[in-house]
Amino acid sequence: MDFMILSVTLLAVGIYGLLTKRHLVKVLISIEIIAVAASMNFVLLASSLNRALGETFLVLAFSTDTCVTAIVLALLVITVKKYGTSDIRKLAEIERASDEEQKFLEGE
Amino acid sequence: MITELIVAGLIFSACLAIYLDEVVYSIISLACMFVFMAFLYALNGAVFVAVFQIAVGAGTLAVLFLAGEMLSEKPEKEKSLKKIFPVALLAAVLSLLAIFLSVTITPANISSCFSFAEALWNLRVMDVILQGLVIITVALGIAIVLYEREEGES
Repeated sequence: MDFMILSVTLLAVGIYGLLTKRHLVKVLISIEIIAVAASMNFVLLASSLNRALGETFLVLAFSTDTCVTAIVLALLVITVKKYGTSDIRKLAEIERASDEEQKFLEGE
Repeated sequence: MITELIVAGLIFSACLAIYLDEVVYSIISLACMFVFMAFLYALNGAVFVAVFQIAVGAGTLAVLFLAGEMLSEKPEKEKSLKKIFPVALLAAVLSLLAIFLSVTITPANISSCFSFAEALWNLRVMDVILQGLVIITVALGIAIVLYEREEGES
């Protein structure tokens, strides 16, 4: 049983979700899975080597990860309230349209 | 045997969290993944980290639930149970890879060995303090941004 392969598998699942999903919350879930895959290496390698330093790093990494999630969720709520959609592609289209509108107004 | 089952459950719930269209179901799958991961940590002797994982995971999931409920739109058509079968198959293949493949690691020769508390409070004490400051700053920042936004709207 090798936990490094498990970690790589979870990383692959997370990257697949990041590349294919369009809903903002699903993208955030993919990022969570990638973060969990990365931090799992610290714990399982540290516990197999019987050293506590890896576990300590993980506790710190968890706190940072939760902070990042909170910030991203706050931005996400603001974005959805402003534009009315949680689809990444629609958001990109709105952004492109507003850029073109601004260029048009500047040209006038 | 228990570890292998937990690994299979972990990979299956991670695949479901990505695959399912309904955001709330995805978050439930993510919760299952966190629980499986905590069991895996506990089985490997990292009990404190397992408890921490459950505690932090519960907070993260509560916030995700709120955001998921607020932001999700109902998908046009629900995925049938038959469509979950390929995901289960994929998860089984990935679990077999994780269970049977192995990478040889040569452990680094570090002579000193610390307990968890020593490592946290003696070696990483500055990190802990700075991280506390960062968390407080982030919490205040989010509160200020949301407050200013509400003020601007009213």
